[in-house]
Amino acid sequence: MSIATVFEVVLATVVLGFGFWTTAVRKTYSAAVGFVAYGLLVALIWVRLDAVDVALTEAAISGGLGGVLLLGAAARLRDSETTAAEAPGNLTRACAAVLSVLIAAALAGAVWLLPEHAPTLAPRIVANAWATSLANPVTNVLMAFRAMDTMLEKVVLLLAIIGVWSLAPDTAWGGRPGPCHRADPNGVLAFLARLLPPVGIVVGIYVFWTGADHPGGAFQGGAILASMWLLAIMAGLADTPATSRRWLRCILIAGPGLFLAVGLGGLWFGSAFLAYPAAYAKPLILGIEVAMILTIAATLGLLLAGAPERSVK
Amino acid sequence: MTEFLTAAVGFILAMLALGLVSILRGPGDTDRMMAAQLIGTAGIAALLLLGTVTGVPAAVDVALTLALLATFASIAFVKKGLSSLDTDGAGITEDK
Repeated sequence: MSIATVFEVVLATVVLGFGFWTTAVRKTYSAAVGFVAYGLLVALIWVRLDAVDVALTEAAISGGLGGVLLLGAAARLRDSETTAAEAPGNLTRACAAVLSVLIAAALAGAVWLLPEHAPTLAPRIVANAWATSLANPVTNVLMAFRAMDTMLEKVVLLLAIIGVWSLAPDTAWGGRPGPCHRADPNGVLAFLARLLPPVGIVVGIYVFWTGADHPGGAFQGGAILASMWLLAIMAGLADTPATSRRWLRCILIAGPGLFLAVGLGGLWFGSAFLAYPAAYAKPLILGIEVAMILTIAATLGLLLAGAPERSVK
Repeated sequence: MTEFLTAAVGFILAMLALGLVSILRGPGDTDRMMAAQLIGTAGIAALLLLGTVTGVPAAVDVALTLALLATFASIAFVKKGLSSLDTDGAGITEDK
């Protein structure tokens, strides 16, 4: 057994251990912490499987923003957890366990029965990469060959933010999301919030820019930018913008709006909806992605900030 | 050289498994978050070595992302968690 195999077995065991523990642990907050660590390790597995694009997304969404979202939810639930001790009965637990085992068995069976040579479009994607002059096949699929899916995905993000905002009480509608954070301006938190964002913004833009030819892209870059914004908010250096602000709403619709406009332009000047003229494919895709990284950063940041709580005075 | 780097990855993974034990034991949430941070750091080291061993330069980008977001997660833990944990370090969080 080679050392690489030993390494893979150890990694898989550790990740499985985390999975079991996160499911089994009683306290929600501990489970959220376990989930953060789990996301970090799954990113390692994706790198080992040569899916670096997925690893970047996993690190940004699952280990970073998703974990923080869960930590916040667990912190909110903790007070109600102690008062309302409504533990599910034994029958409910048994049913849930049986259902979970069945789903796991079905998934394992599906993986077991996969055909030896999976049907794949990968060679055709590589063969047609010249059409967009982007070297990263994942970006090619997301922005050109299946651009429709990506556009609709951005619309879903918009719907998600509307869903979160609609949880606001009437008095706070259009107000600022989340609590007002205060921190000692000379403390270590404010120091870190001044030190880290410049580096983070450069890395975020780099991840977006390198996505044309190497693993990366607007979503991962946007997630990094969003986390830097939230860091400044949590340290009290910036406040969340009121959700009624016009510039904020313009940024939120910039990405899908430009995408839609370019798509309709393809219908008008070209052959089909979202058909880029070959000569302008790369500038058009990069332009859409610039608008999208802003939209994604603002949307993810506002999703984590939560529903408007403070009315504008 | 490759063998040595792979062995180093193995050693870091062993440390990572120890971090898992530490998360399992607890006892407090703060101890668990510290262990999660240790796992994040070990994960970054493993990624950098792995990228060198397998010739995937983009692994460095993943390591960068992990480094930024693991820090962010720990800040969120302090801000969201400590306000209701009764520790003496709560002086820095005065959310209203």
